[in-house]
Amino acid sequence: MHPLLNRRGFLSRTATGLSGIALSHLLGQEHALAGLSRPIRPDINPANPNAARRPHFKPRAKNVLMIFCSGAVSQLDTFDYKPELIRLHGQPMPGGEGIITFQGGQGALNQSPWAFRPRGQTGKMISDLVPHLGALADDLCFVHSLTGKTNTHGPGENFMGTGFTLDGFPSMGAWTTYALGTANETLPAYVAIPDPRGAPQSSGNFWGSGFLPAAFQGTDFNASQPVRNLARPAAVSPAGDRATREFISTLNRHHLERFPGDSELAARISSYELAARMQLSVPEVADLSNEPAHILKMYGADEAGNPVKDLKAAYARNCILARRLVEKGVRFVQLFNGAYQTGGEGVSNWDGHKALKEQYTKHGEVMDQPTAALLTDLKQRGLLDDTLVVWCTEFGRMPTFQLGASGRDHNPAGFTAFMAGAGVKAGHSFGATDDFGYKAVADVVTVYDFHATILDILGIDHERLSFYHNGVERRLTDVHGHVIKDLLTT
Amino acid sequence: MSLPCSPLNLTRQPPAAGGESIAQKPWSVAVRQVALGLALLASGTTAVGAAGPAADVSYEQDIRPLLETHCVECHSGDDAKHDLRLDTVTGLLKGGESGDPVFIPKDPASSQIISRVTSSDPHLQMPPKGERLPAAAVDLLKRWISNGAMLPGEAAARAALAAQEEKITTDHWSFQPVKRPPEPVINDPWIRGSIDGFVLKSLQEKALTPSAAADRRTLIRRLFLLMHGMPPTPEEVESFVTDPHPDAWSQRVDQVLASPHYGERWARHWLDVVRYADSNGYETNRERKTAWPYRDYVIDAFNKDKPYDQFIREQLAGDALGEDAATGFLVAGPHDIVKSPDINLSLMQREDELADMVNTTGTAFMGLTMGCARCHNHKFDPILQKDYYSMQAVFAGVTHGERPLRKTPDASATAELAGLEATASGLERELSVHRQHAERAREAAAGGKLRPPVNALLNVEEFAPVETTAVRFTILATNSAEPCLDELEIMDDAGRNLALAGSGAVVTTSGSLGGNAFHRLEHVNDGQPGNGRSWIADTPGQGWVQVDLPAKSKMQRIVWSRDREGKYKDRLATDYRIETTAATGEWILLASSRDRVKFDPDSTADPDGWLGDLTEEEATTARRVQTGLAAARQRITQLSGGTPAWLGVFSQPGKTHRLYRGDPLQKREVVAPGGLTVLGSLGLSKDEPEQRRRLRLAEWIAQPGHPLTARVMVNRLWHYIFGHGLADTPSDLGVNGARPSHPELLDWLADEFVRSGWSVKHLQRLILLSATFQQSSLPRAEAQTVDSEARLLWRFPPRRLEAEAIRDSMLAVSGALNPAAGGPGFYLMEVEEENVMHYHVKEKFTAAEFRRMVYQTRIRQTTDGVFGSFDCPDGSQVMPRRSRSNTALQALNLFNSPFVLQQAGLLADRLQAEAGTTPEQQVETAFSLFYGRPPDDFERRQSAALIQAEGLPAFCRALYNTSEFLFVF
Repeated sequence: MHPLLNRRGFLSRTATGLSGIALSHLLGQEHALAGLSRPIRPDINPANPNAARRPHFKPRAKNVLMIFCSGAVSQLDTFDYKPELIRLHGQPMPGGEGIITFQGGQGALNQSPWAFRPRGQTGKMISDLVPHLGALADDLCFVHSLTGKTNTHGPGENFMGTGFTLDGFPSMGAWTTYALGTANETLPAYVAIPDPRGAPQSSGNFWGSGFLPAAFQGTDFNASQPVRNLARPAAVSPAGDRATREFISTLNRHHLERFPGDSELAARISSYELAARMQLSVPEVADLSNEPAHILKMYGADEAGNPVKDLKAAYARNCILARRLVEKGVRFVQLFNGAYQTGGEGVSNWDGHKALKEQYTKHGEVMDQPTAALLTDLKQRGLLDDTLVVWCTEFGRMPTFQLGASGRDHNPAGFTAFMAGAGVKAGHSFGATDDFGYKAVADVVTVYDFHATILDILGIDHERLSFYHNGVERRLTDVHGHVIKDLLTT
Repeated sequence: MSLPCSPLNLTRQPPAAGGESIAQKPWSVAVRQVALGLALLASGTTAVGAAGPAADVSYEQDIRPLLETHCVECHSGDDAKHDLRLDTVTGLLKGGESGDPVFIPKDPASSQIISRVTSSDPHLQMPPKGERLPAAAVDLLKRWISNGAMLPGEAAARAALAAQEEKITTDHWSFQPVKRPPEPVINDPWIRGSIDGFVLKSLQEKALTPSAAADRRTLIRRLFLLMHGMPPTPEEVESFVTDPHPDAWSQRVDQVLASPHYGERWARHWLDVVRYADSNGYETNRERKTAWPYRDYVIDAFNKDKPYDQFIREQLAGDALGEDAATGFLVAGPHDIVKSPDINLSLMQREDELADMVNTTGTAFMGLTMGCARCHNHKFDPILQKDYYSMQAVFAGVTHGERPLRKTPDASATAELAGLEATASGLERELSVHRQHAERAREAAAGGKLRPPVNALLNVEEFAPVETTAVRFTILATNSAEPCLDELEIMDDAGRNLALAGSGAVVTTSGSLGGNAFHRLEHVNDGQPGNGRSWIADTPGQGWVQVDLPAKSKMQRIVWSRDREGKYKDRLATDYRIETTAATGEWILLASSRDRVKFDPDSTADPDGWLGDLTEEEATTARRVQTGLAAARQRITQLSGGTPAWLGVFSQPGKTHRLYRGDPLQKREVVAPGGLTVLGSLGLSKDEPEQRRRLRLAEWIAQPGHPLTARVMVNRLWHYIFGHGLADTPSDLGVNGARPSHPELLDWLADEFVRSGWSVKHLQRLILLSATFQQSSLPRAEAQTVDSEARLLWRFPPRRLEAEAIRDSMLAVSGALNPAAGGPGFYLMEVEEENVMHYHVKEKFTAAEFRRMVYQTRIRQTTDGVFGSFDCPDGSQVMPRRSRSNTALQALNLFNSPFVLQQAGLLADRLQAEAGTTPEQQVETAFSLFYGRPPDDFERRQSAALIQAEGLPAFCRALYNTSEFLFVF
């Protein structure tokens, strides 16, 4: 069944009170999956496809803020502390002979250029590359044993973003808004905030709706690039704009009189009303001019003077925008750090193949303080009570340096992500990689499990939320995924 | 248990007494189901039965209780997990859906049950959760298997299984032969044709009545929007409205079907079904600048009303049928070009590429989800995992890339070609004289001038630069045992090795010696020489390896060796041939051992080519001749071979294996190319020539008796006209798809389609001439209550137009439409070239972008700034049915985008020029352009008021935002 297609007037919600029943219901043509838990396909009101919908069970969080670091952040230089890697620095990895990774052969084990120190009450070992995030260790819930399915960025980002390595599948935010709609109807239900430098590797696929209706597509804008086509065209006067809008409404309503109760036509009329509200609410939420100086300073949004500081400030403004969207109840906010548009292989993203120290020094400075400030700010405003924060990347990196280079190759065999806020334990670490941080060995989990857990926290049954496309009941987690119960608050 | 995986819904029938005639029921052919497991078991257990060793472990006393404790909770009964029953002897013997045996008698180490209960891999281990089997239990199992794994009643169970020779049949409607149903006998003046009888019958069953005919203005607009994707001109509307002829409608239908705009509209639908786009997708997302010939082929096929069976055959095997451009179908999908020395990645990328071809062929032509059988037997439809790999074998020789699009040369080219051919054959004659001289000189020198003999360390084969897509190294003799190559390099003129797996080259072989990690096929082109990373063939004294390059490349040297590290001198190829593919597909000899000194372990010599046998003077001449010949051939290719286009590259593949759980590292039995077991065999051998595989599959799909092919297509045609298919899942008529609302009508149409010679236009004409199509779309409360979606067609169902039709219509009414048809596409993205491509939404447009949207260069992972929000697919996945959202972003795009504002301005200019200067005149003309009707009084007043207050462009901007313009009614 196709929610938006087949609901024309189904139990109509229009003023005429005209109601009807979809024939497929009469004929019992819903897919007969006897003996199985039936799929849950949300009942979408075409006039307001993003209206809030009830979760499948009591949720632990209402909203998600996903922070995605493009390029594959090295777990070994951030959150996955490995004393053995330091001890055997410069030696071949035991048992690592003949490992062929994405770019070829491996050199010696290499300890991180950044020292690790115990942080917070928990004493969690976190590197000096991310000291501000380190200071929040007691609030974070780490997963150190994630495993992926591919060692290539495009498919890897697709996998983390959509649950499939292939192009064209709906993003996690699309699935979430498809399931839950949004509480704030004057803002987009799903906002993607691209890095100031541009789009991630998998580009619009990361916030696309795939084969879900376009209503669940992420709207992409950031603190420097407004929503496309949001503003009144410069050549049109405010009064002219208003008059034109009213005329459209008049003509459309006049036309609707010939098709009383038609929900698709009614939906078009409401879409213009929502658009008008968005024209007010989006600039308002994106306007940071009233943020006080101490907030700007906390995020690092006031820094300037060299390219790295400028970049940090631009990313910091995106972080403030993310907080403001969460504050307004936007269901799914996706914040990107790192881009492919302005330089691949580690230049403007975390893909540190050849010059890890030089590149990560910059990336760490840009990402660390603003991201930590965002978490702190959400917490101090009480927003973490309802919001799940997820920090992740497409895969990990090798404990060895590449042959003849000073950087680490791709490694999907074990990598780190963290969550924070509603629904997850604070100051908690789950899973582990081996002695060198190469391979997940304890409590090994998959990206499917990670996704299942996020949906579970939102009160969504990842095995039942589905959409029929091209012969298959599609899910975010395909036919996989187990909720990682150990992450959840009791 | 996940949703898409429930027990296989097949009807398994015992063989019919007396042997049912296959000819009578062509689609319920007897097949052997559990081949692999049974074969292994049969051989193993026979021996055990005969010997009967002392059994210290008993099934009844030890094994059965153990299975009951640990396994049967999931693996029992009709809904046993993965179709594997461990609660019956038959189940144990038969195995589960993987096709692998549960155990191999006397070989616990190879028995799956042992590896599962001892595995530490969370994805493999059994039981999946809870406590592991105690060591004692594992030991019992091992001993039981070592002893022969005897089972009580085993002989009888085995006999029963063997005797089953099971028939897989299905009673699902879409697999049954199409039978033309009798037309309902209803005497009703509403009925105009056969379709109407079926529709009226269904309406009457629900006590519904059809709607009155739509007025002529609505009807002509509906006809143009659906069949052309643009509204009729005011003149076309008026001519129809005032046409007194009784056949006025059928004339319009014929006229619309004959217009070239028809193909532009309907090709777009097909391009959705076959996931067409103009970039590779994935990480690099590079453009495919030569993919468009396929798009033009589809447009042309619809316009010419190419018989649909021919359309199918050409898309799968057009290279054999004089329609090169059609095979763009095979490689229209996304394709990951990021290469890595990591062999796992390369193998999975190739599996994904082939899956894309298999899946799209399955859904597009047969409405079957083949992809579900990549890892296991299909859960709902009668598709075995083996079938998936049989179909994969059909496409195993297809790779993404460009191939010359052959064309018929024009007059001037013909003249030049004739001259070139004469030149080329003259040069060839000349060259052959030189070769004879060289041969004679070699003979005369009695070996003294022969090339040096082969040696284990390094051998170089030089030749004039030649373009190639594949090289084959065939070994005819060795100095000992199976031949070994540690590295095979194909060098271009810049000294780059084209053969490297890391550059995308794919290597296949006659067979490899297994069992040693040092010797693997992938080592032959991994860039790492030495015996430790080498390949050994599986046959003493002979074997071949073939390297397929990712794109046509020029090579001029081949380097090969047995062991470049100098430790090994055995297994050396002493008699060999090296060949390359010509554009025609034949193999051409590049080099061989024939002109070398006979191999002698002690000899040494310097490398040289055949030209070295000539005098220096003659060698210079011969080189010049060779160069001239190459140039002439290249020009001939340019003229007659046409330009390269993204149509796929074909080469003879190696063997295709069934892969356990779809894992390329877990090969199982070799499968022959084929279709669906349940529908019979294609009769192809495991090493059938490449092209014949595709041709045969195409013929099989396109045969009139195929139960799915015609049904799927007529359902699609219906879907694009009425908004819903008769079965509302157009690319899935399998068990999990929707049942048809009008099963008899669907079959009648399918039969009519085939009888008409698979004429798409014939079928569409029938629909368009029906009273069903010509109904009004106005709502009726009493009917809406019963059938809100009008699936029974009590009215014509109104709906929003697709992105392309909206954009094309906007251009049509503003008068800006650029009618340029065919050829390279236009861009809605600014392209930023880098290692990976970046695309930025265009905000400024000129006439180049005012072509119909079917000619857009469609870039995966991007959405147009205006129309992307209108559920417009990017070709990453097939899209047999588009969603229809109505969103605030759409409203913003239509209200504020530079594109729409620009069109509003152009429209205002047009109205000024064509309608006159008064608002009333402008309103009148605008309404006829937009809606094909005059405004009513209310609309006229409101419109004129807006023009007076805010100007004509404001009015034009508004009209582009009206529902009546954006919908078909």
